[in-house]
Amino acid sequence: MNIKKLLVVIFCFSVSTPVFNQMVYEFEDPLQEKRFYELISEIRCPKCTSGSIASSDAPVSRDLKKKVYQLVLDGSTDEEIKHYVSERFGDFSDYRPPLRGSNYFLWFGPFIFLALVLAIFFIKRRI
Amino acid sequence: MNQFFRFLIVILPILILVFFARVLLVDEDIKFANFEAKNFPEFQLNDLSGNPVEADSLDGIKLVNVWASWCITCLVEHPFLTKLSNNDIEIIGLNYKDDDAKANTWLEKHGNPYLFSMYDPRGDLAFDLGVTGAPESYLLINNKVVGHIQGEMNQAKWETIFLPLIQKAKQSS
Repeated sequence: MNIKKLLVVIFCFSVSTPVFNQMVYEFEDPLQEKRFYELISEIRCPKCTSGSIASSDAPVSRDLKKKVYQLVLDGSTDEEIKHYVSERFGDFSDYRPPLRGSNYFLWFGPFIFLALVLAIFFIKRRI
Repeated sequence: MNQFFRFLIVILPILILVFFARVLLVDEDIKFANFEAKNFPEFQLNDLSGNPVEADSLDGIKLVNVWASWCITCLVEHPFLTKLSNNDIEIIGLNYKDDDAKANTWLEKHGNPYLFSMYDPRGDLAFDLGVTGAPESYLLINNKVVGHIQGEMNQAKWETIFLPLIQKAKQSS
């Protein structure tokens, strides 16, 4: 391979989008860094079916990550940050939806069903 | 007693089938359409001509439509928005992550159904509103967001989601 071709290849790699696109989050406090990465894996991307904003590069996920980063640096607690996001993007943003309204069915439905099945099973055995 | 259990064994699977059939088949393609009303977020933005937007310009019944010149689907819903504005629906644009010169050119080229468009190049107000991309539409009644549609606005969504909300608001006032 001659030197010209090699240069072309190097050029192509150097201008590929990841070089420019990767957002780097810098933290002085390792605890904040740990919290940031935990938080972004616990907030659901509003544009995705079920991925977290950590796994998504959708523009809205990028904005959300930037906001979470700022809030972590500003000293907000995890609960405050999750509340901040769900206020804007709804319960959908949280993988653990709050206990209210129709969400009760979501949380307790499987247990009620299991209890029902077990009850039937044991009563039936006794007969 | 035994008969009761036989009855349960038949009825339970049927109930479960009906439940899952409902969840899977009933078409609820419009996410967040029936969501809780909330106040419109506070903002400080200019319109596309560079004049500051007054908060009271959002009073009454307003359709807030998130759009951008780079957004292809916005072009798809544009004729319908034009039709709405010709039918005396007041539409306010929220120009999202766009360039004002490009946005103004876009409006000149395709027509302007908006009373005015708020210029939100960084998407600050859009973030507070919970915008996930363009286009999206919000129904505002007396400064409260009462409805939200993601994606293209069309006749069907308008008639099934926003129109009933407007009629309800008009009846109660």
